[in-house]
Amino acid sequence: MRDQAAILADEHEALIQFLYLAPVGLAQTSMEGDIVLINPISAQLLMPLSRDGTLANLFTALEGVAPDLRHRVSAFAASSGMVCDGLRIRLSAGERGKSAPQTLSLSLLKLDETRLMAVLNDISLQVQQERLLKKNEAWFNAILTGISDYALMSLDSSGRIDEWNASISRVTGFSRDDVLGQPFSIFYPDGAMTADRLLDRMNEADDDGWTVDEGWRVKADGTRFWGSAMIAPLREQAAPGTDPALSVGVEDSAYCLIVRDITDKREASEARRKDLSCDFLTGIANRRTFFEAAELELERRKRSPREISLILFDIDHFKHVNDTYGHPAGDAVLCHLANLLTFTFRQVDVVARFGGEEFAILLPSTNLQSAAGVADRLRRAVESKPVTTDGVSISYTLSGGVAAMDDSMVGLDALIQHADRALYAAKAAGRNRIECWSAEIQPGSIINPAGRRRS
Amino acid sequence: MSEVLPLVFNDPDMCSRIAALDEGALDGLDFGVIGFDAETVVRLYNSFESRNAGLSPKRVVGFPLFTAVAPCMNNYMVAQRFEDAATTGVGLDATIDYVLTLRMRPVKVKLRLLAEPGLAMRYVLVNRPS
Repeated sequence: MRDQAAILADEHEALIQFLYLAPVGLAQTSMEGDIVLINPISAQLLMPLSRDGTLANLFTALEGVAPDLRHRVSAFAASSGMVCDGLRIRLSAGERGKSAPQTLSLSLLKLDETRLMAVLNDISLQVQQERLLKKNEAWFNAILTGISDYALMSLDSSGRIDEWNASISRVTGFSRDDVLGQPFSIFYPDGAMTADRLLDRMNEADDDGWTVDEGWRVKADGTRFWGSAMIAPLREQAAPGTDPALSVGVEDSAYCLIVRDITDKREASEARRKDLSCDFLTGIANRRTFFEAAELELERRKRSPREISLILFDIDHFKHVNDTYGHPAGDAVLCHLANLLTFTFRQVDVVARFGGEEFAILLPSTNLQSAAGVADRLRRAVESKPVTTDGVSISYTLSGGVAAMDDSMVGLDALIQHADRALYAAKAAGRNRIECWSAEIQPGSIINPAGRRRS
Repeated sequence: MSEVLPLVFNDPDMCSRIAALDEGALDGLDFGVIGFDAETVVRLYNSFESRNAGLSPKRVVGFPLFTAVAPCMNNYMVAQRFEDAATTGVGLDATIDYVLTLRMRPVKVKLRLLAEPGLAMRYVLVNRPS
Protein backbone atom coordinates (compact mmCIF):
# COMPACT_ATOMS: atom_id res chain seq x y z
CA MET A 1 0.00 0.00 0.00
CA ARG A 2 2.76 2.41 0.95
CA ASP A 3 4.44 1.67 -2.34
CA GLN A 4 1.30 2.56 -4.25
CA ALA A 5 0.91 5.82 -2.35
CA ALA A 6 4.52 6.66 -3.09
CA ILE A 7 4.07 5.90 -6.78
CA LEU A 8 0.95 8.05 -6.86
CA ALA A 9 2.74 10.91 -5.11
CA ASP A 10 5.62 10.64 -7.54
CA GLU A 11 3.29 10.69 -10.53
CA HIS A 12 1.43 13.63 -9.08
CA GLU A 13 4.66 15.55 -8.69
CA ALA A 14 5.72 14.74 -12.24
CA LEU A 15 2.34 15.94 -13.49
CA ILE A 16 2.63 19.18 -11.55
CA GLN A 17 6.08 19.78 -12.95
CA PHE A 18 4.83 18.99 -16.45
CA LEU A 19 2.29 21.80 -16.08
CA TYR A 20 4.84 24.12 -14.46
CA LEU A 21 7.18 23.72 -17.40
CA ALA A 22 4.74 23.59 -20.32
CA PRO A 23 6.07 26.33 -22.62
CA VAL A 24 2.60 27.74 -23.20
CA GLY A 25 0.19 29.60 -20.92
CA LEU A 26 -2.78 27.58 -19.69
CA ALA A 27 -5.63 28.72 -17.48
CA GLN A 28 -9.05 27.52 -16.54
CA THR A 29 -11.62 30.14 -15.64
CA SER A 30 -15.30 30.60 -14.94
CA MET A 31 -17.49 32.13 -17.65
CA GLU A 32 -16.86 35.46 -15.93
CA GLY A 33 -13.11 34.98 -16.28
CA ASP A 34 -12.35 34.15 -12.65
CA ILE A 35 -9.18 32.10 -12.64
CA VAL A 36 -9.44 28.67 -11.06
CA LEU A 37 -6.27 27.02 -12.36
CA ILE A 38 -3.30 28.69 -14.00
CA ASN A 39 0.23 27.67 -14.94
CA PRO A 40 3.48 29.67 -14.65
CA ILE A 41 3.85 30.78 -18.28
CA SER A 42 0.43 32.43 -17.96
CA ALA A 43 1.74 34.33 -14.95
CA GLN A 44 4.90 35.27 -16.81
CA LEU A 45 2.85 36.75 -19.68
CA LEU A 46 -0.02 38.23 -17.69
CA MET A 47 1.65 39.76 -14.65
CA PRO A 48 3.26 42.63 -16.59
CA LEU A 49 -0.20 43.45 -18.02
CA SER A 50 -2.31 43.10 -14.90
CA ARG A 51 -3.59 46.48 -13.79
CA ASP A 52 -4.56 45.39 -10.31
CA GLY A 53 -1.45 43.30 -9.70
CA THR A 54 -3.43 40.10 -9.23
CA LEU A 55 -4.35 37.14 -11.38
CA ALA A 56 -7.81 36.74 -9.92
CA ASN A 57 -9.59 37.31 -13.23
CA LEU A 58 -8.32 36.68 -16.76
CA PHE A 59 -10.52 39.31 -18.43
CA THR A 60 -9.43 41.93 -15.89
CA ALA A 61 -5.77 41.04 -16.37
CA LEU A 62 -6.17 41.53 -20.15
CA GLU A 63 -8.58 44.50 -19.95
CA GLY A 64 -5.94 47.02 -20.98
CA VAL A 65 -4.99 45.20 -24.18
CA ALA A 66 -8.05 43.12 -25.11
CA PRO A 67 -11.11 44.89 -23.75
CA ASP A 68 -13.66 42.85 -25.70
CA LEU A 69 -13.08 39.38 -24.21
CA ARG A 70 -16.14 39.48 -21.95
CA HIS A 71 -18.29 40.31 -24.96
CA ARG A 72 -16.81 37.59 -27.06
CA VAL A 73 -17.59 35.06 -24.36
CA SER A 74 -21.10 36.29 -23.59
CA ALA A 75 -21.93 36.54 -27.31
CA PHE A 76 -20.87 32.93 -27.85
CA ALA A 77 -24.18 31.08 -27.85
CA ALA A 78 -23.17 27.43 -28.27
CA SER A 79 -22.84 25.40 -25.09
CA SER A 80 -19.26 24.48 -25.92
CA GLY A 81 -16.63 25.22 -28.54
CA MET A 82 -13.91 27.69 -29.54
CA VAL A 83 -14.83 31.24 -28.56
CA CYS A 84 -11.70 32.54 -30.22
CA ASP A 85 -8.86 30.65 -31.82
CA GLY A 86 -5.45 32.30 -31.88
CA LEU A 87 -6.81 35.80 -31.32
CA ARG A 88 -3.88 38.18 -31.61
CA ILE A 89 -3.37 40.67 -28.84
CA ARG A 90 -0.99 43.47 -29.51
CA LEU A 91 0.99 44.78 -26.55
CA SER A 92 3.06 47.92 -26.59
CA ALA A 93 6.37 48.19 -28.35
CA GLY A 94 7.98 46.87 -25.17
CA GLU A 95 10.09 49.66 -23.77
CA ARG A 96 10.41 48.10 -20.31
CA GLY A 97 12.64 45.22 -21.22
CA LYS A 98 14.32 44.24 -24.40
CA SER A 99 12.79 40.81 -24.29
CA ALA A 100 9.24 41.89 -23.54
CA PRO A 101 6.76 40.20 -25.88
CA GLN A 102 4.90 42.32 -28.42
CA THR A 103 2.13 40.04 -29.57
CA LEU A 104 0.24 37.40 -27.61
CA SER A 105 -2.06 34.81 -29.07
CA LEU A 106 -5.10 33.83 -27.05
CA SER A 107 -7.46 30.92 -27.60
CA LEU A 108 -10.56 30.51 -25.49
CA LEU A 109 -12.33 27.17 -25.43
CA LYS A 110 -15.73 26.94 -23.80
CA LEU A 111 -15.74 23.53 -22.10
CA ASP A 112 -19.33 23.74 -20.84
CA GLU A 113 -21.66 26.36 -19.37
CA THR A 114 -19.35 27.05 -16.43
CA ARG A 115 -15.78 26.57 -17.56
CA LEU A 116 -13.43 28.22 -20.04
CA MET A 117 -9.98 27.00 -20.97
CA ALA A 118 -7.49 29.65 -22.10
CA VAL A 119 -4.27 29.11 -24.02
CA LEU A 120 -1.77 31.98 -24.17
CA ASN A 121 1.32 32.18 -26.31
CA ASP A 122 4.02 34.73 -27.02
CA ILE A 123 4.05 34.86 -30.83
CA SER A 124 6.10 38.03 -31.38
CA LEU A 125 8.66 36.30 -33.57
CA GLN A 126 6.13 34.48 -35.75
CA VAL A 127 4.28 37.73 -36.36
CA GLN A 128 7.41 39.37 -37.71
CA GLN A 129 7.96 36.51 -40.12
CA GLU A 130 4.33 36.49 -41.16
CA ARG A 131 4.41 40.12 -42.15
CA LEU A 132 6.87 39.25 -44.87
CA LEU A 133 4.78 36.33 -46.03
CA LYS A 134 1.64 38.44 -46.05
CA LYS A 135 3.22 40.87 -48.48
CA ASN A 136 4.10 38.05 -50.80
CA GLU A 137 0.56 36.73 -50.62
CA ALA A 138 -0.87 40.13 -51.50
CA TRP A 139 1.37 40.18 -54.52
CA PHE A 140 0.14 36.80 -55.73
CA ASN A 141 -3.45 37.88 -55.14
CA ALA A 142 -2.88 40.99 -57.16
CA ILE A 143 -1.56 39.24 -60.21
CA LEU A 144 -3.04 35.76 -60.19
CA THR A 145 -6.63 35.78 -58.97
CA GLY A 146 -9.51 35.92 -61.45
CA ILE A 147 -9.10 39.22 -63.19
CA SER A 148 -12.38 40.63 -64.49
CA ASP A 149 -10.84 43.80 -65.77
CA TYR A 150 -7.97 46.11 -65.05
CA ALA A 151 -6.77 49.58 -65.89
CA LEU A 152 -3.11 49.88 -66.74
CA MET A 153 -1.42 53.25 -66.69
CA SER A 154 1.98 54.78 -66.26
CA LEU A 155 2.95 57.36 -63.67
CA ASP A 156 5.72 59.90 -63.63
CA SER A 157 8.13 60.02 -60.72
CA SER A 158 5.80 62.21 -58.66
CA GLY A 159 2.81 59.92 -59.12
CA ARG A 160 1.02 61.77 -61.92
CA ILE A 161 -0.65 59.82 -64.69
CA ASP A 162 1.32 60.56 -67.83
CA GLU A 163 -0.15 58.32 -70.51
CA TRP A 164 -3.65 57.58 -71.62
CA ASN A 165 -5.21 54.29 -72.72
CA ALA A 166 -8.73 52.99 -73.05
CA SER A 167 -8.52 50.57 -70.09
CA ILE A 168 -8.57 53.53 -67.71
CA SER A 169 -11.96 54.65 -68.92
CA ARG A 170 -13.27 51.07 -69.02
CA VAL A 171 -12.59 50.47 -65.32
CA THR A 172 -12.89 53.94 -63.81
CA GLY A 173 -15.07 55.94 -66.22
CA PHE A 174 -12.60 58.82 -66.25
CA SER A 175 -11.78 60.47 -69.58
CA ARG A 176 -8.40 61.32 -71.00
CA ASP A 177 -8.69 64.95 -69.90
CA ASP A 178 -9.77 63.93 -66.40
CA VAL A 179 -6.68 61.92 -65.65
CA LEU A 180 -3.68 63.15 -67.64
CA GLY A 181 -1.32 65.05 -65.36
CA GLN A 182 -3.38 64.20 -62.26
CA PRO A 183 -1.94 62.32 -59.29
CA PHE A 184 -3.26 58.77 -58.98
CA SER A 185 -5.06 59.78 -55.78
CA ILE A 186 -8.00 60.80 -57.99
CA PHE A 187 -9.06 57.14 -57.82
CA TYR A 188 -9.25 57.30 -54.01
CA PRO A 189 -12.22 58.63 -52.03
CA ASP A 190 -11.82 61.88 -50.06
CA GLY A 191 -9.69 61.40 -46.99
CA ALA A 192 -8.25 58.08 -48.12
CA MET A 193 -4.97 59.39 -49.54
CA THR A 194 -2.56 62.14 -48.63
CA ALA A 195 0.27 63.64 -50.66
CA ASP A 196 2.77 62.00 -48.32
CA ARG A 197 1.09 58.61 -48.59
CA LEU A 198 1.16 58.87 -52.37
CA LEU A 199 4.94 59.26 -52.30
CA ASP A 200 5.23 56.50 -49.68
CA ARG A 201 3.61 54.06 -52.05
CA MET A 202 6.17 54.82 -54.73
CA ASN A 203 9.05 54.66 -52.26
CA GLU A 204 7.82 51.27 -51.12
CA ALA A 205 7.63 50.12 -54.73
CA ASP A 206 11.26 51.23 -55.17
CA ASP A 207 12.35 49.33 -52.07
CA ASP A 208 10.42 46.12 -52.61
CA GLY A 209 9.99 45.99 -56.38
CA TRP A 210 6.22 46.48 -56.06
CA THR A 211 3.51 47.56 -53.64
CA VAL A 212 -0.16 46.72 -53.49
CA ASP A 213 -3.12 47.97 -51.48
CA GLU A 214 -6.80 47.13 -51.36
CA GLY A 215 -9.75 49.35 -50.49
CA TRP A 216 -12.56 51.53 -51.74
CA ARG A 217 -11.85 53.40 -54.97
CA VAL A 218 -14.04 55.90 -56.83
CA LYS A 219 -15.15 56.13 -60.42
CA ALA A 220 -15.68 59.34 -62.37
CA ASP A 221 -19.40 59.37 -61.50
CA GLY A 222 -18.62 59.16 -57.77
CA THR A 223 -19.66 55.53 -57.33
CA ARG A 224 -17.31 53.29 -55.36
CA PHE A 225 -15.80 49.96 -56.17
CA TRP A 226 -13.50 47.67 -54.16
CA GLY A 227 -10.18 47.81 -55.89
CA SER A 228 -6.62 46.70 -55.65
CA ALA A 229 -3.87 49.00 -56.84
CA MET A 230 -0.43 47.65 -57.60
CA ILE A 231 2.50 49.94 -58.35
CA ALA A 232 5.80 48.75 -59.77
CA PRO A 233 8.82 50.81 -60.82
CA LEU A 234 9.52 50.71 -64.55
CA ARG A 235 13.21 51.38 -64.44
CA GLU A 236 16.22 51.31 -62.20
CA GLN A 237 16.08 54.06 -59.64
CA ALA A 238 18.32 57.09 -59.67
CA ALA A 239 21.18 56.99 -57.20
CA PRO A 240 20.05 57.32 -53.59
CA GLY A 241 19.88 60.92 -52.50
CA THR A 242 18.90 62.25 -55.91
CA ASP A 243 15.78 64.37 -55.61
CA PRO A 244 13.14 62.64 -57.76
CA ALA A 245 11.35 65.96 -58.22
CA LEU A 246 14.26 67.21 -60.31
CA SER A 247 13.55 64.66 -62.98
CA VAL A 248 9.85 65.45 -63.41
CA GLY A 249 8.93 65.93 -67.01
CA VAL A 250 12.39 65.05 -68.16
CA GLU A 251 12.42 61.33 -67.62
CA ASP A 252 10.13 58.77 -69.16
CA SER A 253 7.39 57.15 -67.13
CA ALA A 254 8.71 55.99 -63.78
CA TYR A 255 6.03 53.60 -62.50
CA CYS A 256 3.30 51.41 -63.76
CA LEU A 257 -0.03 51.34 -61.91
CA ILE A 258 -2.56 48.56 -62.28
CA VAL A 259 -6.00 49.23 -60.83
CA ARG A 260 -8.35 46.25 -60.64
CA ASP A 261 -11.99 46.04 -59.70
CA ILE A 262 -12.15 43.11 -57.24
CA THR A 263 -15.58 43.90 -55.79
CA ASP A 264 -16.54 40.22 -56.10
CA LYS A 265 -13.75 39.21 -53.76
CA ARG A 266 -14.42 41.98 -51.30
CA GLU A 267 -16.93 40.31 -49.03
CA ALA A 268 -14.70 37.37 -48.18
CA SER A 269 -11.56 39.39 -47.71
CA GLU A 270 -13.34 42.12 -45.74
CA ALA A 271 -14.91 39.60 -43.37
CA ARG A 272 -11.57 37.99 -42.73
CA ARG A 273 -9.87 41.32 -42.29
CA LYS A 274 -12.56 42.54 -39.87
CA ASP A 275 -12.34 39.43 -37.75
CA LEU A 276 -8.59 39.81 -37.30
CA SER A 277 -8.22 43.52 -37.10
CA CYS A 278 -11.37 44.99 -35.57
CA ASP A 279 -12.68 45.37 -32.07
CA PHE A 280 -15.51 42.91 -31.52
CA LEU A 281 -17.94 45.37 -29.91
CA THR A 282 -17.43 48.61 -31.79
CA GLY A 283 -16.26 47.37 -35.17
CA ILE A 284 -13.42 49.88 -35.36
CA ALA A 285 -9.75 48.89 -35.49
CA ASN A 286 -8.30 47.07 -32.49
CA ARG A 287 -4.99 47.69 -30.73
CA ARG A 288 -3.12 45.32 -32.95
CA THR A 289 -4.19 47.09 -36.13
CA PHE A 290 -3.38 50.41 -34.54
CA PHE A 291 0.18 49.40 -33.64
CA GLU A 292 0.82 47.91 -37.07
CA ALA A 293 -0.43 51.01 -38.86
CA ALA A 294 1.30 53.42 -36.50
CA GLU A 295 4.65 51.65 -36.72
CA LEU A 296 4.42 51.62 -40.50
CA GLU A 297 3.69 55.35 -40.53
CA LEU A 298 6.67 56.05 -38.24
CA GLU A 299 8.88 54.00 -40.56
CA ARG A 300 7.69 56.12 -43.47
CA ARG A 301 8.42 59.24 -41.49
CA LYS A 302 12.04 58.14 -41.04
CA ARG A 303 12.40 58.03 -44.77
CA SER A 304 10.55 61.20 -45.64
CA PRO A 305 9.88 63.41 -42.65
CA ARG A 306 6.33 64.62 -42.15
CA GLU A 307 3.90 65.53 -39.41
CA ILE A 308 2.23 62.74 -37.47
CA SER A 309 -0.19 63.38 -34.65
CA LEU A 310 -1.84 61.13 -32.12
CA ILE A 311 -5.00 61.73 -30.13
CA LEU A 312 -5.98 59.64 -27.12
CA PHE A 313 -9.60 59.97 -25.99
CA ASP A 314 -10.99 58.65 -22.76
CA ILE A 315 -14.67 58.75 -21.82
CA ASP A 316 -15.18 60.73 -18.62
CA HIS A 317 -16.59 58.81 -15.66
CA PHE A 318 -17.34 55.79 -17.79
CA LYS A 319 -17.61 53.60 -14.72
CA HIS A 320 -20.44 55.86 -13.57
CA VAL A 321 -22.31 55.21 -16.85
CA ASN A 322 -21.95 51.47 -16.34
CA ASP A 323 -22.93 51.63 -12.68
CA THR A 324 -25.94 53.88 -13.29
CA TYR A 325 -27.39 52.51 -16.53
CA GLY A 326 -25.89 49.03 -16.70
CA HIS A 327 -23.30 47.45 -18.98
CA PRO A 328 -25.51 47.27 -22.11
CA ALA A 329 -25.86 51.06 -21.88
CA GLY A 330 -22.09 51.35 -21.46
CA ASP A 331 -21.70 49.30 -24.62
CA ALA A 332 -24.13 51.58 -26.44
CA VAL A 333 -22.02 54.58 -25.42
CA LEU A 334 -18.85 52.89 -26.71
CA CYS A 335 -20.52 52.10 -30.05
CA HIS A 336 -21.96 55.59 -30.31
CA LEU A 337 -18.53 57.11 -29.79
CA ALA A 338 -16.96 54.68 -32.28
CA ASN A 339 -19.50 55.84 -34.90
CA LEU A 340 -18.82 59.50 -34.20
CA LEU A 341 -15.07 58.86 -34.49
CA THR A 342 -15.47 57.07 -37.81
CA PHE A 343 -17.65 59.88 -39.07
CA THR A 344 -15.35 62.67 -37.86
CA PHE A 345 -11.95 61.41 -38.92
CA ARG A 346 -10.58 60.80 -42.41
CA GLN A 347 -10.26 57.38 -43.92
CA VAL A 348 -6.49 57.71 -43.86
CA ASP A 349 -6.59 58.23 -40.08
CA VAL A 350 -6.39 55.13 -37.91
CA VAL A 351 -9.29 55.08 -35.44
CA ALA A 352 -8.87 52.33 -32.85
CA ARG A 353 -10.25 51.13 -29.55
CA PHE A 354 -7.16 51.21 -27.40
CA GLY A 355 -8.37 49.95 -24.06
CA GLY A 356 -11.65 49.66 -22.13
CA GLU A 357 -13.01 53.16 -22.73
CA GLU A 358 -9.94 54.59 -24.37
CA PHE A 359 -9.63 55.34 -28.08
CA ALA A 360 -6.58 56.24 -30.14
CA ILE A 361 -6.48 58.07 -33.44
CA LEU A 362 -3.34 58.35 -35.51
CA LEU A 363 -3.40 61.23 -37.99
CA PRO A 364 -0.81 60.96 -40.76
CA SER A 365 0.46 64.21 -42.30
CA THR A 366 -1.29 66.30 -39.65
CA ASN A 367 0.28 68.78 -37.26
CA LEU A 368 -0.51 69.27 -33.59
CA GLN A 369 -2.79 72.26 -34.13
CA SER A 370 -4.95 70.62 -36.77
CA ALA A 371 -5.19 67.45 -34.70
CA ALA A 372 -6.21 69.46 -31.64
CA GLY A 373 -8.82 71.25 -33.77
CA VAL A 374 -10.50 68.10 -34.95
CA ALA A 375 -10.20 66.57 -31.48
CA ASP A 376 -12.09 69.49 -30.04
CA ARG A 377 -14.70 69.26 -32.79
CA LEU A 378 -15.30 65.67 -31.76
CA ARG A 379 -15.43 66.61 -28.08
CA ARG A 380 -18.14 69.17 -28.82
CA ALA A 381 -20.08 66.70 -30.94
CA VAL A 382 -20.05 64.18 -28.09
CA GLU A 383 -21.12 66.80 -25.59
CA SER A 384 -24.07 67.88 -27.72
CA LYS A 385 -25.33 64.45 -28.81
CA PRO A 386 -26.64 62.25 -26.03
CA VAL A 387 -26.99 58.53 -26.73
CA THR A 388 -30.47 57.08 -26.61
CA THR A 389 -30.63 53.44 -25.63
CA ASP A 390 -33.71 51.59 -24.43
CA GLY A 391 -35.59 54.88 -24.31
CA VAL A 392 -33.06 56.42 -21.92
CA SER A 393 -31.02 59.41 -22.99
CA ILE A 394 -27.44 59.31 -21.69
CA SER A 395 -25.20 62.36 -21.87
CA TYR A 396 -21.50 61.84 -21.58
CA THR A 397 -18.30 63.74 -22.23
CA LEU A 398 -14.76 62.83 -23.06
CA SER A 399 -11.27 64.13 -22.51
CA GLY A 400 -8.50 64.06 -25.06
CA GLY A 401 -4.73 64.33 -25.16
CA VAL A 402 -2.94 65.32 -28.36
CA ALA A 403 0.72 64.92 -29.24
CA ALA A 404 2.80 65.23 -32.39
CA MET A 405 5.90 63.28 -33.32
CA ASP A 406 9.16 65.19 -33.36
CA ASP A 407 12.78 64.24 -33.90
CA SER A 408 13.64 64.27 -30.21
CA MET A 409 11.31 61.32 -29.65
CA VAL A 410 12.27 57.73 -30.20
CA GLY A 411 9.56 55.35 -31.27
CA LEU A 412 5.85 54.96 -30.94
CA ASP A 413 5.89 54.53 -27.18
CA ALA A 414 7.24 58.05 -26.75
CA LEU A 415 4.42 59.47 -28.85
CA ILE A 416 1.83 57.48 -26.92
CA GLN A 417 3.39 58.63 -23.66
CA HIS A 418 3.15 62.29 -24.66
CA ALA A 419 -0.49 61.95 -25.69
CA ASP A 420 -1.17 60.04 -22.49
CA ARG A 421 0.32 62.79 -20.36
CA ALA A 422 -1.73 65.39 -22.21
CA LEU A 423 -4.83 63.28 -21.62
CA TYR A 424 -3.97 63.03 -17.96
CA ALA A 425 -3.63 66.82 -17.83
CA ALA A 426 -7.05 67.18 -19.48
CA LYS A 427 -8.53 64.89 -16.82
CA ALA A 428 -6.78 66.76 -14.03
CA ALA A 429 -8.03 70.12 -15.36
CA GLY A 430 -11.64 69.07 -14.96
CA ARG A 431 -12.42 66.72 -17.90
CA ASN A 432 -14.50 67.42 -21.03
CA ARG A 433 -11.50 69.15 -22.60
CA ILE A 434 -8.60 68.62 -24.96
CA GLU A 435 -5.00 69.22 -23.95
CA CYS A 436 -1.92 69.21 -26.14
CA TRP A 437 1.35 67.80 -24.94
CA SER A 438 4.01 70.32 -24.00
CA ALA A 439 7.22 70.04 -22.04
CA GLU A 440 5.52 71.77 -19.09
CA ILE A 441 3.17 68.88 -18.53
CA GLN A 442 4.62 67.00 -15.64
CA PRO A 443 4.82 63.23 -15.78
CA GLY A 444 1.99 62.86 -13.31
CA SER A 445 0.45 59.65 -14.54
CA ILE A 446 1.97 56.29 -13.97
CA ILE A 447 2.68 54.92 -17.36
CA ASN A 448 2.81 51.25 -17.99
CA PRO A 449 2.99 50.83 -21.73
CA ALA A 450 1.11 47.56 -21.76
CA GLY A 451 -1.87 47.89 -19.51
CA ARG A 452 -2.73 51.23 -18.10
CA ARG A 453 -4.61 52.95 -15.33
CA ARG A 454 -7.02 55.83 -14.85
CA SER A 455 -10.79 56.11 -14.59
CA MET B 1 25.27 26.81 22.52
CA SER B 2 23.54 30.12 22.10
CA GLU B 3 20.06 30.20 20.60
CA VAL B 4 19.92 32.42 17.50
CA LEU B 5 16.63 34.01 16.52
CA PRO B 6 15.34 32.63 13.20
CA LEU B 7 15.52 34.93 10.21
CA VAL B 8 12.40 36.79 9.16
CA PHE B 9 11.49 37.71 5.58
CA ASN B 10 12.41 41.38 5.73
CA ASP B 11 15.59 41.22 7.80
CA PRO B 12 18.32 43.52 6.51
CA ASP B 13 21.57 42.26 5.02
CA MET B 14 19.84 39.10 3.88
CA CYS B 15 22.34 37.78 1.32
CA SER B 16 25.09 37.15 3.82
CA ARG B 17 22.70 35.92 6.52
CA ILE B 18 21.28 33.27 4.23
CA ALA B 19 24.73 32.29 3.00
CA ALA B 20 25.65 31.61 6.64
CA LEU B 21 22.80 29.12 7.22
CA ASP B 22 23.13 25.37 6.91
CA GLU B 23 20.55 23.18 5.24
CA GLY B 24 18.68 22.46 8.45
CA ALA B 25 18.35 26.13 9.34
CA LEU B 26 17.17 26.99 5.84
CA ASP B 27 14.52 24.30 6.01
CA GLY B 28 13.35 25.73 9.33
CA LEU B 29 12.48 29.13 7.82
CA ASP B 30 8.84 30.08 7.39
CA PHE B 31 9.38 31.61 3.98
CA GLY B 32 10.65 30.21 0.69
CA VAL B 33 14.29 30.49 -0.35
CA ILE B 34 15.51 29.81 -3.86
CA GLY B 35 19.22 30.32 -4.37
CA PHE B 36 20.74 30.32 -7.84
CA ASP B 37 24.22 30.84 -9.22
CA ALA B 38 25.72 33.17 -11.82
CA GLU B 39 24.41 30.91 -14.61
CA THR B 40 20.90 31.05 -13.04
CA VAL B 41 21.14 27.36 -12.08
CA VAL B 42 19.24 26.58 -8.88
CA ARG B 43 21.60 25.51 -6.06
CA LEU B 44 19.34 25.92 -3.08
CA TYR B 45 15.65 25.16 -2.59
CA ASN B 46 14.37 25.08 0.96
CA SER B 47 11.61 22.89 2.25
CA PHE B 48 9.08 25.73 2.70
CA GLU B 49 9.27 26.45 -1.01
CA SER B 50 9.32 22.77 -1.87
CA ARG B 51 6.12 22.11 0.13
CA ASN B 52 4.25 25.05 -1.38
CA ALA B 53 5.21 24.37 -4.96
CA GLY B 54 4.71 20.61 -4.59
CA LEU B 55 8.16 19.86 -6.03
CA SER B 56 10.96 18.04 -4.25
CA PRO B 57 14.44 19.61 -4.42
CA LYS B 58 15.75 16.79 -6.63
CA ARG B 59 13.47 18.00 -9.44
CA VAL B 60 14.67 21.56 -9.10
CA VAL B 61 18.27 21.80 -7.90
CA GLY B 62 20.69 21.79 -10.83
CA PHE B 63 18.19 23.23 -13.31
CA PRO B 64 18.05 26.77 -14.69
CA LEU B 65 15.64 28.86 -12.60
CA PHE B 66 13.89 31.00 -15.19
CA THR B 67 13.32 28.37 -17.84
CA ALA B 68 13.06 25.04 -16.04
CA VAL B 69 11.92 25.87 -12.50
CA ALA B 70 10.00 29.15 -12.26
CA PRO B 71 9.18 30.34 -15.80
CA CYS B 72 6.53 32.60 -14.28
CA MET B 73 9.36 34.90 -13.17
CA ASN B 74 10.94 35.10 -16.60
CA ASN B 75 9.89 38.65 -17.46
CA TYR B 76 11.00 42.21 -16.85
CA MET B 77 9.52 42.23 -13.36
CA VAL B 78 11.90 39.58 -12.01
CA ALA B 79 14.42 37.96 -14.38
CA GLN B 80 15.26 41.22 -16.09
CA ARG B 81 16.08 42.85 -12.75
CA PHE B 82 18.61 40.17 -11.89
CA GLU B 83 20.06 40.46 -15.38
CA ASP B 84 20.30 44.26 -15.09
CA ALA B 85 21.90 44.00 -11.65
CA ALA B 86 24.50 41.55 -13.00
CA THR B 87 25.24 43.75 -16.02
CA THR B 88 25.63 46.96 -14.06
CA GLY B 89 27.36 45.37 -11.05
CA VAL B 90 24.94 47.04 -8.65
CA GLY B 91 23.34 45.24 -5.70
CA LEU B 92 19.66 44.29 -5.80
CA ASP B 93 17.35 44.17 -2.81
CA ALA B 94 13.77 44.77 -3.87
CA THR B 95 10.49 43.46 -2.53
CA ILE B 96 7.63 43.25 -5.03
CA ASP B 97 4.06 42.04 -5.01
CA TYR B 98 3.66 39.10 -7.31
CA VAL B 99 1.41 36.17 -8.09
CA LEU B 100 2.83 32.66 -8.18
CA THR B 101 0.96 29.73 -9.61
CA LEU B 102 1.59 27.26 -6.82
CA ARG B 103 0.04 23.92 -7.76
CA MET B 104 -1.76 25.85 -10.53
CA ARG B 105 -3.56 28.15 -8.08
CA PRO B 106 -2.85 31.87 -8.33
CA VAL B 107 -1.34 32.87 -4.98
CA LYS B 108 -0.47 36.44 -4.03
CA VAL B 109 3.02 36.60 -2.57
CA LYS B 110 5.77 39.02 -1.83
CA LEU B 111 9.02 38.31 -3.62
CA ARG B 112 12.29 39.64 -2.33
CA LEU B 113 14.97 39.78 -5.02
CA LEU B 114 18.50 39.70 -3.69
CA ALA B 115 21.85 40.00 -5.44
CA GLU B 116 25.14 41.42 -4.28
CA PRO B 117 28.06 42.32 -6.49
CA GLY B 118 30.88 39.87 -5.95
CA LEU B 119 28.60 37.12 -4.63
CA ALA B 120 27.89 34.31 -7.08
CA MET B 121 24.72 33.19 -5.28
CA ARG B 122 21.56 35.19 -5.77
CA TYR B 123 18.23 34.63 -4.05
CA VAL B 124 14.52 34.90 -4.52
CA LEU B 125 12.66 34.85 -1.21
CA VAL B 126 8.96 34.03 -1.24
CA ASN B 127 6.64 35.23 1.47
CA ARG B 128 3.11 33.84 1.50
CA PRO B 129 0.61 35.85 3.49
CA SER B 130 -0.86 33.37 5.94
